[in-house]
Amino acid sequence: MIKPSPSDLIKSSVRSIAKNKGRTLLTSLGIIIGVTSVILLTSIGNGLKKYVSDQFESLGSNVVYIVPGKVFNDEGGFSNTESFVTLTFDDKDISKISRQFKNDLVIPSTQLAVDVKAGDKIKKGRSLIGTTPEYGPANNSVPKETNGRWFTQEETDKNSKVAVLGNKIAQDLFGSVNPLGKKIIVKGKNLKVIGVVDKKGSTFGGPSLDDHIYTTIGTVQNITGNSDINTIQVKIKDKSLINKTKTDLEKLLLDRYEKDTFSVFDSSQLLSSINSIIGTLTIALTGIAAISLVVGGIGIMNIMLVTVSERTKEIGLRKAIGAYPRAILVQFLIEAIILSALGGFIGVVLGALGTLAINQFFPAQITPGSIILAFGVSSLVGVIFGVAPARKASKLSPIEALRYE
Amino acid sequence: MTKSSSENKHRPVVLELQNIVKTYRSGNTSFNALNGVDLKIYQGEFVSITGPSGSGKSTLMHIIGLLDSPTSGQVLLEGRDISRLKEHEMAQIRNVTLGFVFQQFNLLPKTSALENVLLPLLYSDVDKSLHHEMGVKMLTKVGLDTKLKNTPAQLSGGQQQRVAIARALINNPKIILADEPTGNLDSKSGKDVMEFFHKLNQEEGRTIVFVTHDQELAAQAQRVVVIKDGKISISKTQ
Repeated sequence: MIKPSPSDLIKSSVRSIAKNKGRTLLTSLGIIIGVTSVILLTSIGNGLKKYVSDQFESLGSNVVYIVPGKVFNDEGGFSNTESFVTLTFDDKDISKISRQFKNDLVIPSTQLAVDVKAGDKIKKGRSLIGTTPEYGPANNSVPKETNGRWFTQEETDKNSKVAVLGNKIAQDLFGSVNPLGKKIIVKGKNLKVIGVVDKKGSTFGGPSLDDHIYTTIGTVQNITGNSDINTIQVKIKDKSLINKTKTDLEKLLLDRYEKDTFSVFDSSQLLSSINSIIGTLTIALTGIAAISLVVGGIGIMNIMLVTVSERTKEIGLRKAIGAYPRAILVQFLIEAIILSALGGFIGVVLGALGTLAINQFFPAQITPGSIILAFGVSSLVGVIFGVAPARKASKLSPIEALRYE
Repeated sequence: MTKSSSENKHRPVVLELQNIVKTYRSGNTSFNALNGVDLKIYQGEFVSITGPSGSGKSTLMHIIGLLDSPTSGQVLLEGRDISRLKEHEMAQIRNVTLGFVFQQFNLLPKTSALENVLLPLLYSDVDKSLHHEMGVKMLTKVGLDTKLKNTPAQLSGGQQQRVAIARALINNPKIILADEPTGNLDSKSGKDVMEFFHKLNQEEGRTIVFVTHDQELAAQAQRVVVIKDGKISISKTQ
């Protein structure tokens, strides 16, 4: 039989904590702040990760991207060398790739920063993307039926001056007016709006997809005066072949271009890179927040030492009537743990409420893991910082403790 | 010199001190608070220990109460040497064998009379389901059955000391050890408490060791032990 029973110990600890409500709250404040910030930061990190994954899903899967420059470093993170890009692709690459990957869709695109005009409104620095009919379906960018359509092969062949607008740029230029059939002016050319893409949100580090304007590739090449291609997408049929396709594409391109002047990657690679960045950031920020847990633990140790002094007489009495040292140790340890676990609990509640509030403006998602972690760590802090005061209490001599005034 | 009455010789010895020496050291100087004390406490005895301050009576009480260990000598509880036990073993003996009553009452503040009385049971093997009933019975015995829920602050000094006596009795101890139990009470409450001790001794045959500096109170006991300079100078049975 354990003496005193755990329930008696917890009861007496709760009571002695309840006798000093104000002090308890102040003592737990460090833990509360620590746990709240840990929960909030992990929630934001998790929310970001989920948001990014969703974004990538909406971009379309099974697509291999070929872009100029070295995007990834050897460790899988983003490369920080060479952001100055000179390499462009051309029709030869397209036909070569098309010949080798007969079953897959090869989609060239050329991107250009432009100022867009509609009526008296001008929007500067928007992305004009010239591409082919397959781009829309491959990137989940085909307008819904009521919002018009993507352009056809015939329009592409004829270099038709048609435009499909991102959701935001359509709003910016036309407001509540239906843009379908209206004209926009880009680099002195009139483009007819034939479709508006549904809202997609932004990608990280890039402009919002909702600000993009899509047109036929010939139209953009007419504006630039050359037949350069910036990006090649290869939409593959069989997802299991994605790695082989990437290797084959790389080999094929190495015939013409030097190593590291272009990159071949798929969206999952991009996703895992971004996730690893977010993960590192979250851990770093959470680590900083966790420092306040240590500070909170010191606060608890401090107040427990005060409590032991204040209750020296009580400890002496308990010993005189038969409390053995370990019973006293456990009693004060439980008090410290309850103090910090209480702080942890309040912190979790505040963190959850904070997450809900933040979620109104910013992606944030609380996970059971972060709750368990925060609660566990705060209880552990109670154990670690409670040991010293509890040991002090258990070692008090009953005679001196009883004499203490 | 220890002189025992013929009456006591028929009674078993509960606690026996043999040649107890307690030395306090500070730096290079040492001081013998107790200097060879022999004392037998017989079952059912009401004995008072008295002496001027600094005589060593507090130290003696601490050793009888197992709150302190002697530097040399033996403490025999029913024949078993308990002077050099481990701390948790001493704690257990204090719990079941001794009942303390202090001058300062030493009740837990903001805690009901009943819970104060039940405190020793927390550290005992007594089944939890029995606690409440035992506590109520004890408080009834000391005449406080209407004050179960009162905290010490809501009780008079005399009532507080009666709660403390109930607490001392709850584990049915072999010896009740009272240290100046009337020292903080007015004369009327003090008298009541003394009467209660006498009643416990006479009606229930409780062994009571009672420490006081007050000669008059000490004289109420069956046997008076006077300590002087760390030795027993007189032990007389009245």
